[in-house]
Amino acid sequence: MQVKNPISIEGNSENTVLIVWPERVCQHQHQWITDYQQLIKLQLKHYIVETISSYNSLLVYYKFELIAYKPFSDQLHYLWRSLSKVASTVTKSAVQRIEIPVYYGLEAGWDLPYLSQVLDLTAEQIIEYHSDAVYRAYSLGFTPGFCYLATLTPFLQVARRSSPRLTIPQGAVAIAGQQTAVYPSASPGGWHIIGQTPMAMFEITEQCFSPAITPGQQVTFKAIDYSEYCRLGGIISLENHE
Amino acid sequence: MSNHLKIIKLSGRASVQDLGRLNSQHLGFSAGGAADEYAFRFANSLLDNDQNHAALEITLGQIQLQAGCDCFIALTGADCKATISQQDLPTKVINNWQSHLLKKGQIITLHQPKKLLHSYIAVKGGIQSKIWLNSRSQSHSESNLGFTGKTLRTSDFITIDINQKTLPPNNKTLQRNSTPQSFYADNILTLRFIPNSLYLSLDRGWQRQFTQQTFRISADSNRMGYRLNGNIAAQTLASELSKPVNYGSIQIPNQGQPMILMKERQTIGGYPTLGTVMQTDLFRLSQKRPGEEVRFTPTTTAKAQVQLTSFLQRFYSL
Repeated sequence: MQVKNPISIEGNSENTVLIVWPERVCQHQHQWITDYQQLIKLQLKHYIVETISSYNSLLVYYKFELIAYKPFSDQLHYLWRSLSKVASTVTKSAVQRIEIPVYYGLEAGWDLPYLSQVLDLTAEQIIEYHSDAVYRAYSLGFTPGFCYLATLTPFLQVARRSSPRLTIPQGAVAIAGQQTAVYPSASPGGWHIIGQTPMAMFEITEQCFSPAITPGQQVTFKAIDYSEYCRLGGIISLENHE
Repeated sequence: MSNHLKIIKLSGRASVQDLGRLNSQHLGFSAGGAADEYAFRFANSLLDNDQNHAALEITLGQIQLQAGCDCFIALTGADCKATISQQDLPTKVINNWQSHLLKKGQIITLHQPKKLLHSYIAVKGGIQSKIWLNSRSQSHSESNLGFTGKTLRTSDFITIDINQKTLPPNNKTLQRNSTPQSFYADNILTLRFIPNSLYLSLDRGWQRQFTQQTFRISADSNRMGYRLNGNIAAQTLASELSKPVNYGSIQIPNQGQPMILMKERQTIGGYPTLGTVMQTDLFRLSQKRPGEEVRFTPTTTAKAQVQLTSFLQRFYSL
């Protein structure tokens, strides 16, 4: 698979460099980005504070007091060239597939009636489309443990709500545009809720936060019934119509 | 134990802040941290603290704290006409941008400031609140997760380090190197920003319009972001795939009014951006109130780095 070079590597602030690839949701391109991110973290670790990747971009925080922008960006260019030359030997991260159990009942999937209308599909069809596909995790962000998954079938793609809800419950499984995700904790949000999962989206041990999904992984959704949902510890959050 | 400051009264907003958790953004945690690093670092320097020691950030004053033990504090940022009082003794007005001894039982009162937004109360040795991912900074949007303790309220106790009995040296160098009066702009604040390729691709007329007008800070501004009202021609900027955002990113949402992302920003955003305001100007911006005016002027990464380096040197080379 031929990889496209970044379209830009540019200083984004005093201590960051933003690297951008062509504007597309593409798992091959994303795999290159995450491999590149690993390489940067390994090879330039003395200069690196943090790296954040997304669909087609990578933001690198570096210690500008230790290295000037020009030599640092030269290093980034050099690492990209060396990575793309050894394309065949790039070790693909062991793809672990994560299965998320979802209760898609109407009391859990607050927006199913609305989506049925605008998408001209039955709730059953929406559920089938959503749970049939294998998604790739592209980016962690928005709130702790929130992972953007893509690509949603075109049949389910719909713009986000015109006015966001003040509270989307923890465990809500939602869709917007070509993306789907699980809300790891209650937060405001504009995505459409189609179900709820009892699965925790992160684990906390002493000073360590482990998200259930990390970028690069594959994710599927499995429809479960209400009794299974309860057995797994789920408690439905009902919509508060006020 | 009496190693604490007790919040007797809190009408505004207060939180524990240090320099934030920059290296947990890849998990989705906001970087957070003190809104105005100038006043925050100044307070720690007055006490000879580590620069990253946690302090209290108070927005619009209106707080009363009682000392459970003798302690040294430093007061910086928005001038709240602070007083120290004690039963049976006359109330004493204390100076801003200075360190003070707070004796056991004494009460420090901060009133509403006339200018600027945030004040800092640092304590010798730093506030000893819960550490989460290398930082004590509290972020409002993550408060429900409880990792850094609850949102501060009246009757809460703020734990301090009781083993700090020595009087800090009166730091004359700090005062000489930098005066708060010269740091904060009184009138229209000029925000120097590093333009990105999207900004540079826009036509000259539009760029001129962007840099030649003044924007008014909207009431809808907070530690997360500053919204600005101005007259910029509707520019059809294609919405993009969500990308990591930066401290100081200038986002242009659909309505066309710029929003500058501040310390408590989210980690990722989908709105087009025009560039990044340099950090030393963001510290100044964080102290501006709704209704005040700002303008933009382009700068370069190199110039912004020089400014930030000389800013940091004031605090590290004392």
